[in-house]
Amino acid sequence: MIRHDKQLLNDLAFLDEANSLQNAGFISKDQKDLIKKQLPDFKHQKNILVRLGFFLLGSFLYSSICSAISLLGLSGEEFFFKICCYIFAVVGFAGAEFLANEKYYGHGLDDAFILGAIFNVGFAIGITTDGYELIIAVFMAIAAFVMYRRYLHLPSLLIFCLASSAVLFYGLFEFGAIGKTILPFVAMLFSAGFYFFTKKSIDNLNEHYYYNGLLLGNSFCLILFYLSCNYLVVRELSVMLLGNEVLPGKDIPFAYFFYAFTLIVPVLYLVQALKSKDRIMLWISFLAISFSIYTIRFYHSVLPIEVALTLGGVVLFSIAYFSIKKLKEKESGLTFKPDRINNSNALLNAEALIVASAFGMKPEVKTESPMEFGGGGFSGGGSDGSF
Amino acid sequence: MNKFDDQATKSLLDKNLITENQYQEITAYRNLNIFSLNAELKFFLYLSVLLFTSGIGILIYKNIDSIGHIALLSILLIIIAVCFYYCFKNSKGFQKTETVFESPFLEYLVLAANILTCIFIGYLQFQYKPFGTHYDLATLIPTIVSFFCAYYFDNKSVLTIAITGLAAYIGLSVTPQDLLHNDFYSNPTLSYSAIILGGLLILYTIYSLRVNLKTHFNIIYLTFALHLISIASISNLVDDYSHDSIWMLFGVVLGASSYYFYKVSHDIKAISLYVFMIIYTYIGLNIFLFRIFQFIDFSDVWMLFILALPAYFIGSIILFIKLIKKFNKETAK
Repeated sequence: MIRHDKQLLNDLAFLDEANSLQNAGFISKDQKDLIKKQLPDFKHQKNILVRLGFFLLGSFLYSSICSAISLLGLSGEEFFFKICCYIFAVVGFAGAEFLANEKYYGHGLDDAFILGAIFNVGFAIGITTDGYELIIAVFMAIAAFVMYRRYLHLPSLLIFCLASSAVLFYGLFEFGAIGKTILPFVAMLFSAGFYFFTKKSIDNLNEHYYYNGLLLGNSFCLILFYLSCNYLVVRELSVMLLGNEVLPGKDIPFAYFFYAFTLIVPVLYLVQALKSKDRIMLWISFLAISFSIYTIRFYHSVLPIEVALTLGGVVLFSIAYFSIKKLKEKESGLTFKPDRINNSNALLNAEALIVASAFGMKPEVKTESPMEFGGGGFSGGGSDGSF
Repeated sequence: MNKFDDQATKSLLDKNLITENQYQEITAYRNLNIFSLNAELKFFLYLSVLLFTSGIGILIYKNIDSIGHIALLSILLIIIAVCFYYCFKNSKGFQKTETVFESPFLEYLVLAANILTCIFIGYLQFQYKPFGTHYDLATLIPTIVSFFCAYYFDNKSVLTIAITGLAAYIGLSVTPQDLLHNDFYSNPTLSYSAIILGGLLILYTIYSLRVNLKTHFNIIYLTFALHLISIASISNLVDDYSHDSIWMLFGVVLGASSYYFYKVSHDIKAISLYVFMIIYTYIGLNIFLFRIFQFIDFSDVWMLFILALPAYFIGSIILFIKLIKKFNKETAK
C-alpha cells in the first residue's frame, strides 16, 4: 500500500540517525557527509520554516488549478457546483500521487495536495448530504487513513484521529439523550482501549516507518482520555448538548468522579512518564496539569489572578530549583545533564521570541488618564513604556 | 528509548559507514539510559519568571492607589536588588564573546531583574513623574538598562527587550504580534524611521563583526532589521494615496535589502533569514507586477490570466526549490 520506495524510507532513517549522531559528536561532519552521499534521499525538508513556505506555495498552486477548472466548468452552473469538490479532491489525489512518484516526502508541496484532497472530500460529502456531520466525518476519516497508509503522511493521521473521534461523538448523538449522557464514559473507554492497542503494536512493530504514526495515535489517545472526563469539558458539554443549566448550589451528576479524574490523571501521567522515560507523555502531563489548574480556577477562583500568577511563579521556580539541585550531579537515568543524542533544545530557542511578544516595549501613548495602559493587559511588563 | 534508533546505528555499522569503535561508544552511551530533564526544567524556570513578573505587573496596576506607593516601590526595589546581587556575584563579568554560565539560574534571574526594573521605572514615572513630560526618557532608560544587562550577562532574551525598547523610543512597535499593526499608511515618517532603524541595526552588526563584540547577537539584530525594512517597504508599495512614484523608491529599498540579506544569510548560515528574505521579495515582486498590470485593461483577458496562474505558481515553485537547494549546498561547505 505504501507508495514510497521502502529502500528510501529505510535510508531516511539512517540519515536521521547519522544526523543525530553527528549532533551528539559521535561521528564527524565529514563522515556524515559521506553517509549522505552514499545513500539516495527523498526530496525532503527538515527545516519547518522551509516546509511551511513550500506548503503555502503548494496551496497556491492547488487553488489556482482548482480555479482554472472552475472557470472551464462555469457553464455547467448548478450541476458543476454539486460536483466541483469531487473534482478538486481528484486533483489533490493526482497531485499527491505525482509528487510521491517524484520522490517528494515531507517536503511541504506534498502536504498541500494531500491535506487539500482530504478536506475537499469533506466539502464534497458535505455538499451532497447537506452537511450531515456523521457521514462527513466517516468519509474524511477513510480518506485521511488512506492518505496515511499510502504516503505515510503524519498530518493526515492526525486528521484521521480527529475525524474518527468525531465519528464516535456524532454516532452517539444518533442515540439521543442517552448517547449524549454516556458520551464521556464511552470516549474514555475507547481512548483507553486504543491506547493499549497502539502501545502493543509499537512493541511488536518491525517496520520503523510506522513508528511515528503509531506514536502519534498513542499520544492522541492519552490526550483524548484526559479530556473525555475532565470536569470542565464534561460540564460545558452537558450544558451545550443536553441543555442542562447547572443551577447554583447544584452540580452535574457524578461530579465527584469527574473532579477526582481531573486531579488524578495528570499526576498518574507524570509518574508514569518519569518511570517509563517517555518524553511525549511527560509534556502531555504538563499540559494536563495546567489544564486541571485552569479547570479548578474556572469554577472556584480562590485567589485573584495577580496573586495566583505571582505565587505560581514562586512555586514553579522552587520546584525547578530543587529538582535541578537534586538532579545536577547524576550521570545516568533521570538527570539534568543535557542528553547528547535526543535534546529538545528547539523549545529553548523560542524563548527570546516569547519574551519579545510578552514583554516588548511599545511606543508610549501620550495620555494623562491612568486607565490608558497601552500594552498592559496580561503582560505586566508590556505596560512599562506606555505610561 | 526507541529501539529503531539502535537498529539504525547497527545497520550503519553493517554498511561500514561507522567504525566498530564508534558503535561501541554509541551503545555504551545509550546504555546509560539517560533521560534528561534539562530543557524541561529550564523551561520551568523561564515560565516561572514570566508568571512572577506578570503577576507583579498586574498587582501594581490594580493597586496603584491602594497600597502605599513607597511600600510597593521599596518591595520591588528589594527584589530587584537581590536578583542583581546574585547575578553580579555569579557572573564572570563582561566578556566579548559568547559566554556560558555555570549556574542555570543566572540567565533567568537576569531576565526577571530586568523586567522588574522596567516595571519599576514605569511605575516611578507614572506616580512621581521624575522625567516630567519626557515620556520618551521613561522608555529610553529601561532600554539602556536592558542593553547593559544583555551585553554584560550575555542574554538574548533581554537583548530582544532592549531592541523593542529602542524601536519604541522612535515610535515603532516591533513586538512580533504588533509588527504588522504599525500605522505606516497614515504616518509616512514612520516608514522612514523604520527603514533607517533597520539600516542602523545592519550597520551596527557590521561594526560588531569588525571589533568582534558579541557576534552571536548579530542574528537577532539582523532578524529585526529584515522584518522592519521589508514590512515598511511592502506597506508603502501597496499604498495608493501617497505621491505618484514614491512607491518605486520603496521597491528599490526592498530590492537592496533583499540583496544584502541574500548575502548575509549565506555568510552566517541562517536559513530563517534566507526564507523570510525570499518570502518578502516574492510578495514585493507580486505587488510590483500587479501595479504594472493595473495599466492594462483586464476585461478581455482575465480568463487567460486565471488559466495562466497555475503555470506561474509552478514556475515560482521550481525557482524556490532551486534557491533552497543552492543555499543548502553553499552552506554545507
